Amino acid sequence: MDASWPKADSVPVRREGASGVELDDNIAVYDDVGQLMILLNSSAGAVWNLCDGTRTVGEMITELAETYPDGAAVIREDVRETLRKLAEIGLVSEGSEAL
Amino acid sequence: MPDVHDWAHCSANLRALSYRFAVCCDDAALGAHISALLSSLRDSDTDAENPHEDAVDAGPVGEPAPHRYTLTASAGRAGAVDVRRDDQLVESALAPGVAVGWLVWDINRLAAELSGQHLLFHSGGLEASGVGILVPAASGSGKSTLTAGLVRAGLGYLSDELVALELDATGSGPGRLLPYPKPITVKPGSFGVLADMAPDVPDGDGDGEWQVPVGDGTGRRVGGACEPGFVIVPRYDPSAETALARLSETEAFFTLALHAVNLLPHGPAGSEALGRLAAHCACYALAFSDLDAACGLVLGLVGARV
Repeated sequence: MDASWPKADSVPVRREGASGVELDDNIAVYDDVGQLMILLNSSAGAVWNLCDGTRTVGEMITELAETYPDGAAVIREDVRETLRKLAEIGLVSEGSEAL
Repeated sequence: MPDVHDWAHCSANLRALSYRFAVCCDDAALGAHISALLSSLRDSDTDAENPHEDAVDAGPVGEPAPHRYTLTASAGRAGAVDVRRDDQLVESALAPGVAVGWLVWDINRLAAELSGQHLLFHSGGLEASGVGILVPAASGSGKSTLTAGLVRAGLGYLSDELVALELDATGSGPGRLLPYPKPITVKPGSFGVLADMAPDVPDGDGDGEWQVPVGDGTGRRVGGACEPGFVIVPRYDPSAETALARLSETEAFFTLALHAVNLLPHGPAGSEALGRLAAHCACYALAFSDLDAACGLVLGLVGARV
């Protein structure tokens, strides 16, 4: 995955075997392949939940901006940064690459 | 190996979660002592047909337990015993009390190893009016001491070391805590606050631990399988003010994950079960320096809810 990922037309998808458990406003993600358990805060959790392989990053940003209009100005970069971090630890990948 | 009828004493069939076993001795007094100590693990499924129990006056022959410990006089040291598991020598020339401590430790180890279908926690476990209490903590946190104190106060005992959560088959409920009422292991540091629980016959693993029997005739009640309702995370700190503090669902989830023995093999189903457990239970951290005060807080908490 190159440094410019994710682009607006990228389709992030959660790694198979990774599952999220909703707790308070957070999501605990458990990855039984990487033997990893991490806690995502509410905004990262919202991004995680949208990584089902059916949406482009552009569509994710639009959807989140509609849900959280007060944060619209920073959502674009927040989503990209969150996806980069999730990809670094192997929890999401480019959907087209996974197929 | 001698035939079962050659043993001076054999226990009933016993069960530690999924580990089924019996214990036979060539010393009647030691055998009777071990049987009494482990009587809370009696396997009710096979009890009536046990061919081993009281072998001297053996009853009807039925299915023996699949595993068997034997303790025999050691040839190498007077008064010492050799321990075999399934006819394999596993310990030799132990003082009888040390052998008993080792036996409890090995049973616990195999209970964990053979009960992987359940989600297992390094935790104490109690039952109050049909509601389960998990007491997960690292060794040295006061887990067994608090568990023992609450059993002394009248709560049902599930375990002081290893609690099994039978996962809900539908994947929607919190599951059930299963009793594994091994003897309560009390470390020397807690002898003072649990002095009235001192066993008549001291056993130990060489460090002088007590193995405290539970169940019939001991005044310490064994609890039944129950849905969990509380998670209490103890931390003994001699300088702390004894107090409960509510844990968030997230804090409870990660605490339970930390003390889950076999989360990994359960995969996503395990973490989802943890999530349901954290969401379903009232979860608290308990810092304590005073056992009676700590037990009072827990009893008040539980009594207010059940």
